[in-house]
Amino acid sequence: MAVRGFDEAEEKKSYGSVFLLGSVLLVVLTLWAFWDDNFTRRPWKQFQAEFYRLDYRKAEQAYEEEDKKLRADPAYQELVKKLAEERASLRGGELAKKLKVLRRDETKADVRFTELDQEVKFIKSELEEAWYEYDHAVQQGRGAKPYEDRIRELEREKAGLDPQLEKARQEREQIKEEIKKVNSGIKDLETQIAKLTAERDKWVKAMENATLNAGPISFYKIPKIHQVVLEEFDRNNFDQPVARVDRCQTCHMAINRAGFENEPQPFRTHPRREVLLADNAHPPDKVGCAPCHEGQGAAVNSARQAHGEIPYWEHPLLRGAKVQSSCASCHLDVQRLEDAPLLAEGQRIFEQMGCTGCHLAQGYEDVPKVGPSLRRIRAKVDPGWMVRWIQNPHSVRPRTRMPNFSLKEDEAVAIASFLWSISKEEGEKWLQEQPLPASFREGDKSLVAKGKDLVESIGCKGCHGFAEGEVSTVLGKEKELIPNLKNIGEKVGPRWTYHWLKNPRSFSPETRMPSLRLADDEAMTVTAYLMTLGKPADEKPSLEKQLQDAKNIKRGESLVRKYGCFGCHDIPGMEKESRIGVELTTFGSKTLEELFFGNRTDIPITWDDWTTNKLKEPRIYATPRVEQVMPHFNLTDDDIKALRILLAGFRERKVPSRYRADQSQRAVQVVEGRRLMHQYNCIGCHEIEKRGGFIGKYYENPALAPPPLNGEGEKVQSGWLFGFLKRPIPIRPWLNLRMPTFGFTDEEANRLVAYFNGLSKVEIPYAYFDERKVPKEHLDAARILVSKDFFNCFSCHQQGERKPEGPPEGWAPDLNLAKDRLNPEWIIKWLQDPQKVQPGTKMPSFYPGGPDNILGGKDDKQIEALRNYIVMLGRKGPAAAASR
Amino acid sequence: MKRSILSTFLVTVLLVVPLSSLLAYEGGAVSDGGTISGVVKFKGAAPAPKKLDINKDKEVCAKTAKNDPTLLVSGGNLVNAVVSIADIKKGKKMEPQKVTLDQNGCEYHPHVLAFVAGSSVEILNPDGILHNVHSYSKANSPFNVAQPKFKKSLTVKLDKPEVVSVKCDVHGWMSGWFFVADNPYFGVTDNSGSFKLTDVPPGTYTLEVWHETLGKQSQKVTVKPKEEVKITFEIAKK
Repeated sequence: MAVRGFDEAEEKKSYGSVFLLGSVLLVVLTLWAFWDDNFTRRPWKQFQAEFYRLDYRKAEQAYEEEDKKLRADPAYQELVKKLAEERASLRGGELAKKLKVLRRDETKADVRFTELDQEVKFIKSELEEAWYEYDHAVQQGRGAKPYEDRIRELEREKAGLDPQLEKARQEREQIKEEIKKVNSGIKDLETQIAKLTAERDKWVKAMENATLNAGPISFYKIPKIHQVVLEEFDRNNFDQPVARVDRCQTCHMAINRAGFENEPQPFRTHPRREVLLADNAHPPDKVGCAPCHEGQGAAVNSARQAHGEIPYWEHPLLRGAKVQSSCASCHLDVQRLEDAPLLAEGQRIFEQMGCTGCHLAQGYEDVPKVGPSLRRIRAKVDPGWMVRWIQNPHSVRPRTRMPNFSLKEDEAVAIASFLWSISKEEGEKWLQEQPLPASFREGDKSLVAKGKDLVESIGCKGCHGFAEGEVSTVLGKEKELIPNLKNIGEKVGPRWTYHWLKNPRSFSPETRMPSLRLADDEAMTVTAYLMTLGKPADEKPSLEKQLQDAKNIKRGESLVRKYGCFGCHDIPGMEKESRIGVELTTFGSKTLEELFFGNRTDIPITWDDWTTNKLKEPRIYATPRVEQVMPHFNLTDDDIKALRILLAGFRERKVPSRYRADQSQRAVQVVEGRRLMHQYNCIGCHEIEKRGGFIGKYYENPALAPPPLNGEGEKVQSGWLFGFLKRPIPIRPWLNLRMPTFGFTDEEANRLVAYFNGLSKVEIPYAYFDERKVPKEHLDAARILVSKDFFNCFSCHQQGERKPEGPPEGWAPDLNLAKDRLNPEWIIKWLQDPQKVQPGTKMPSFYPGGPDNILGGKDDKQIEALRNYIVMLGRKGPAAAASR
Repeated sequence: MKRSILSTFLVTVLLVVPLSSLLAYEGGAVSDGGTISGVVKFKGAAPAPKKLDINKDKEVCAKTAKNDPTLLVSGGNLVNAVVSIADIKKGKKMEPQKVTLDQNGCEYHPHVLAFVAGSSVEILNPDGILHNVHSYSKANSPFNVAQPKFKKSLTVKLDKPEVVSVKCDVHGWMSGWFFVADNPYFGVTDNSGSFKLTDVPPGTYTLEVWHETLGKQSQKVTVKPKEEVKITFEIAKK
C-alpha cells in the first residue's frame, strides 16, 4: 500500500522532544514575561511592597504598645470587668428575667397599637369618601344632608378612638424606654471603653489600610501607580495647554503622613508637612510634587529617570535649598514665605545691589537706579577721591555695593574727567547758590562735640555707620546698604555737607537721604563733626589738568557707555540709554548649550557651576576674542547661593494663573510698597514684618528706640498715616530721635499706606466713628476709669497741653492724637492686651481685672467705654466736655 | 519613731522626685549636711550712697529719701548680692515658695527677691497710686501688669530659673530683681553682706555670687559632713 510521496518512516518519527522543548520554552518565556513585567521593569512595585510591609510593621508595633498601656491601666480593666458582668447578668441573671417580661409586654403593646392605628386609618379613608360625596352633591345641586350626617358620625367615631390610640402609643413607648434602660448599662460601658481604646484601635485601621482581606486570608495591597493629573499645567511646543502627570507618590508613599520622619527615602515624611502640605498650601493629592521639585514626574522606570537626572532632561530634580527657586513660580510675594529664606534673600540682593541696572528681568522693570545722581557730582566730591573710587571702590570702602570694574588708573581718570565735565554747569551753579555760613569754624571742639551728640541721638545711625564695623541695614551677608561715613572727610567738604544735611533734595531731587529738619546751627555742628572723620588726600598737581583734557573727557564718555554706568547712576545726556546686560527673565531655563563657558575646562558643565563662577568672578569666561564687562561685586558664597536660587526661578515655563498663589491687587501693593520701604531703608530704624529696627542695638531701653511697625496698618488710620508720612509730627516727645521728612510724593506715600494695610490685611481703610452713638454712661464710667484713683492714664499719657509729671522719657503718647491717628477697633485690642500687640511695650495690661463697681464689673464693657472716651478726647463741640 | 521618719522620707521622695526631675535637681532628706556661710566684700573704696531723684507722685513716693539700690555697700560689705551653689544636683528638698514683693513708698522691698522656680510672688501695692510691674524675663514669659489703687495685691508665678529685672514704668527709678533659682541653695546678702546656706550634702561645689551691677564671680567650695565652711568673696567694680 505504498502511496507516492508518503514516507512511513517520517510518519512514525516522534516530534515529542520538539513539542516538549517548544512547550518548555513557552512556559519559560511566559514566566519571564510575567517576571519582567512585574519586577525587572517595575521597580516601583518593590518600593510599594516594601512600604506596605513597613507601614504594617509600624502600625502593629504602635498597636501593641497601646495595648500594653491599656492592659496596665486599672481603669480600663475595671471597665472590661464590669462589662462582662453586665453581659452575664443580661444572659441569665435578674436582668434577663426582667427583659423577658418586658419583651413580651412590648409585643402585646405593639399589637394593640397597630390594631387601633389601623381602625383610625379606615375611618380617615371613609371620611375622605364622605367629603367627596358631599362636595359632589353640592356641585350637582343635590341634597347634601345625608353626607353631612355621615361626616359628623365618622368624626364622632374618630374622636372616640383618638385618645385610645394615643394611650396605646404611650404605653408602647414606655415599655421601649424601659428596655433601653435595661440595656443602657452595656451601652454606657461600651462607649467608655471605646474612648479608652480609640488610640489603640486607630492602628487596627492603619493595619487594614496596608492590607487586603479576602475572607480569612490577608495579604499586602497590590501595588498600583498613584498619579496626579494637573489639567492644562504645561504647554506643548505648539503652545497648547497640556496636562502634567505626576507619579512621584507611587514611591514616595508617606510624603503626607506623620510618623515616617526618620525613615529612609523614598518613604520619608515631607519636612514641615503640617504647613507646606496643608490643604490651603500644597496638598500633594491635588498638586503633586513636580510643580515644586521638578524632575520627570511621569517616569516610574527608575529613580534616576523619575528624578530627571538623565541627559537632555531640562528640568532635573531640584535638590536641597534649590527647591526654593520654585516658590517664585506661583508666589508673587516671596518675602513673606517663611520656608524660602534664601529665595527672599536672593531677591533682596538682586533688587538692591543694582543688578537691574544692567539686566532686564520680568517683574523687576521698575526697580529704581540704586546709585546716586551724578548730575552735580563736581560740587560734591574731592576729585582725587573720585579717581580712586572709580578705579576700585572696594579698596576705599570694602563693603560698598558699588562694584569694581577693574579699571586702570588712566581709565579711571578718563571717566572722572567725563563726569567732571558734564556736572560743570549745574554743579557750579548749585555751589554759587549755597555759600558756607560765615560762622562755620572747622575743627571747633565744641561744635564737633555737639555735632557728635546730635549724630548719635537724632537717628543718623539708623542708616549710617560712623566707625569701622558700625553698620545698620546689611544687604546679603555683609554689604552696606548705606555708606559708612568713617572717612567722609576724604570725600566731601564742609560746604556741600552743610547744605546736603539741611536739604538733601535741593542737591539731588531723587535722593533717598531724608531731611532731619535740622536747624542752621544743628547742621553746622553735624558738619563740623563729619569733617573730623578723615581728611582729603593731597591732590596730585597734574590731576586738575588731566580732568580738563578733552581727550580724556571723550575717552571717559566711551568708557561710561561701555560699562553702562547709567544703569545705576543718573548721568545727564544718558537718561534714555537702555540696559547693557543680557535679559534674565528666563535665565533659569537656559540649557547648557546656551551657557558660554569660554575656554574654561576646569569648571563642571552644569548650570549651577556656571552661575556660581560667573557671580564669583564675573569675567571668568572671557577669551582673547570675547570680552566681558560685568564688574566684580565681591559677593560672599552665601550671597551667591541666594542669588543663584533666585535666578534658577527665572523660568521660561509659566504656571497658569489658576494654580498660582495670591496675585491680587493687595499682593501687588505689598510687593511694590516693600520695595519702596527697602529703598528708603525704613527697617534701619523700625521693625517691619518682624525684620529690622537695627538702630535698636544702640539703645538699652527699648522705649527710647523707634517704635516697631509690625501691624501698623491695623493700628493707625490710613488718612493719618498718609499725612504723617508726608509731614511727620512728633508723637513721642521723649524720643531724641526724629522721624525724618523723606519728601515722599503723593504716589509714594499712598504706596506705603497700601503696603502697611496689605500687611495687616485691612479690608476697609476708612471707618467712621459716630460719636453721637456713644452712650453717656460710657463717658461717665470712662472718666472714672481714667482718673487718679483708678487707671490714672494721665500719669504717663500726655493730653494736649496737659503734660504728665516726671521726666519725658517716662511719658506716653498724647491721647488727644488718638481720634485722628488710631483705628477704633485697634484701641480695643490694645487695651485688652498691650503685650500681645507690641511685646515689650511700657503700657501695662489693665485687663483682665477691671474694677468691680464700674459698668457691672464687665471688662469688655469697660474697655469699650475707655475706647469711646479716648476717641472723643480732644474733639470739638459737645464731646470736648468729655476731656475735662 | 524610726518608721515614721522612714515613711516621711519615702513620701517626700515620692512627692519631690517627679517635680525635681523636670528641673534636673533632685531633692530629699539630708542627714549629714554641712553649712556654707560667709561674707561678700566690696573691693575698693565704698561708693557714697547716691540719692534717687523722686520726680513723680512726690506726695506718696518722696515721704522717705531713697538711695540708689543698684550698688549698696555697708561697712565694706556688699548688700543685695545673691550667693548660690551653681552646680548642685542633689540635696535638701525643694518646694515652691510663696514670697512677697512690697512696693511700699514706690520702692521694691526687698530689692532682690530670691526664690526657687515654680514659686508664686505676691506683689503688694499699699501706696494707693498706680504702679505697674514690668518683667524683663526671657525664660519665663514676660509680663507687664498694671496695679492701680484698687488692686492692692496681685500674684505672678515664675516657673523657670533665671534672673529677671523688674521695673515700674510709671516710676522710672523703681527697679528690682527676681533671682529664680534652680535649687534651694541660695541666699541674699543682708546689710552686713553675709549669707548662710545650710543642709548642704558633703561634696565639692561651685559657689557663685551674682550682683546686678558687679556681675558674677565664683569659687570652689568643699563641704564636710556637719561642719561649717567659711567663705569670703571679694568683688570689685568692673
